[in-house]
Amino acid sequence: DYDLIIIGGGSGGLACSKEAAALGKKVMVLDYVVPTPLGTSWGLGGTCVNVGCIPKKLMHQAALLGQALQDSRKYGWQYEEQVKHNWEVMVEAIQNYIGSLNWGYRVSLREKSVTYLNSYGEFIEPHKIKATNRKGQVTYHTAETFVLATGERPRYLGIPGDKEYCITSDDLFSLPYCPGKTLVVGASYVALECAGFLAGLGLDVTVMVRSILLRGFDQEMAEKVGAYMETHGVKFIRKFVPVQASMPGRLKVTAKSTEGPEIFEEEYNTVLIAVGRDACTRNIGLETIGVKINEKNGKVPVNDEEQTNVPYVYAIGDILEGKLELTPVAIQAGRLLARRLYGGSSTKCDYINVPTTVFTPLEYGSCGLAEERAIEEYGKQNLEVYHSLFWPLEWTVPGRDNNTCYAKIICSKLDNNRVIGLHVLGPNAGEVTQGFAAAIKCGLTKELLDETIGIHPTCAEVFTTMDITKSSGQDITQRGC
Amino acid sequence: LVPRAPPAPYHRTIGTSAGCRSTFNVQDDRDFQDRVVNNPKPVVVDFHARWCGPCKILGPRLEKMVAKQDGKVLMAKVDIDDHTDLAVEYEVSAVPTVLAMKNGDVVDKFVGIKDEDQLEAFLKKLIG
Repeated sequence: DYDLIIIGGGSGGLACSKEAAALGKKVMVLDYVVPTPLGTSWGLGGTCVNVGCIPKKLMHQAALLGQALQDSRKYGWQYEEQVKHNWEVMVEAIQNYIGSLNWGYRVSLREKSVTYLNSYGEFIEPHKIKATNRKGQVTYHTAETFVLATGERPRYLGIPGDKEYCITSDDLFSLPYCPGKTLVVGASYVALECAGFLAGLGLDVTVMVRSILLRGFDQEMAEKVGAYMETHGVKFIRKFVPVQASMPGRLKVTAKSTEGPEIFEEEYNTVLIAVGRDACTRNIGLETIGVKINEKNGKVPVNDEEQTNVPYVYAIGDILEGKLELTPVAIQAGRLLARRLYGGSSTKCDYINVPTTVFTPLEYGSCGLAEERAIEEYGKQNLEVYHSLFWPLEWTVPGRDNNTCYAKIICSKLDNNRVIGLHVLGPNAGEVTQGFAAAIKCGLTKELLDETIGIHPTCAEVFTTMDITKSSGQDITQRGC
Repeated sequence: LVPRAPPAPYHRTIGTSAGCRSTFNVQDDRDFQDRVVNNPKPVVVDFHARWCGPCKILGPRLEKMVAKQDGKVLMAKVDIDDHTDLAVEYEVSAVPTVLAMKNGDVVDKFVGIKDEDQLEAFLKKLIG
């Protein structure tokens, strides 16, 4: 019936469908959200729009505004009111915005003549899927080509009480009541970002970490992110894992140390589990048509053209084995795939030097390699790492943390001091990093950075005046202007 | 722990004061056919959404002006998330979108907020 059927209406799926339709193909998109154990569900648009990047950044902003209010008095703003935060007002405003985005996507699919089904898609035989809607009605559809873009859902802990009493990020952004005293289990960016803004809104937040923070990220930066959160009121319990959640009265969590026999017990209003996400590839009939997935994590291995082991089935987005789980990556992969399939293009998605930002209370932006990875790949003697602490000008008047914001670049001595890793911990890290990502794509070297004149007074200019190397051992503590 | 409130399927709005019988919520496609398309009286259709701020302002304002027309015109409210097919059929992209319908045909329309005088003029034109 169709040229292309896409299973999943998130960042990747929608981008791919619109591009294919623009190239004149007959396209169908299926999107279906299986409700969480608590019954939470959402509309078209995928994780990013509904329970990811968008609400996350808005809540992060809400927390930053709280901090800004505190700073404002130092800048001369005078007001008597005790400022407090209303969770319900914030959630309603954010959910209203998301509702308009859901509708916008429906309209844009309609305008591009893409057929949209709010149904759960499963393969029943080669080239054919079964689509089941919320009311249980079933329809069947065939296509020449298929794209899997089903994304992921939060993983639970597998301990007694986890699904009954705990929530995940899927529930947090539309939670109709304020979470109150919260335990966040996990040390992923989801865990730290959520813990960060909840604390910023004035809640009592504890983070329970099994081992390291932000696995996969530069660990020096990860520890600094955690240290800032701890200085600003977030409690950390390290090297413990929860073993039970129960509700004898209030919600009680029992946890065990990973290193000894100690037990920890505490009561919370809310427990947010953020220990990872699992690909939604298990129950969509992939076995029926022979698509291989990684049995351990459900991810789909693909070649550099996003093709699975079955030639007419492709995959994009978070479900890909070994690729970055980011919205812009999924969108780019989706668009380029459509262009290669139907537009005669041969451009493949470039997964190298993709910039990212973690929106913790002190934001961390990076592009390129973590220091550990660089050392592994190039050897310590072939690298030069420049670094600097900095004090954002806006923080001076209110007397906020000095010698806390930090920036470093990792350069390859084998290649003209090419910048192979750039990391910044400071306000507006995302805005700062974006431009440098383009420079890195153009082959940025230390010399070019030095030749670039900084914009003053900004945080980003720190990258244009980095002189001190790690190898020199010199002190980077800032004194005065 | 309370799940996110699902859309209420068959909830009837009681319009403010005199608006009681001149305003109703469309229940489904059949209802729309019966009470809007096949209505001998002219009907204004208010396409709105729960997440739309301006809709919350226009809705009551339009209801009030409709109530002032002594039953010469009725008002149907359609939630575009609950009745997407209808919204698609009538080419609604932004909300609020208000259609003026007479004998099953769309004779007038506007998108966005209008003040009371503008609404009065819109309704008077529809009644004829």
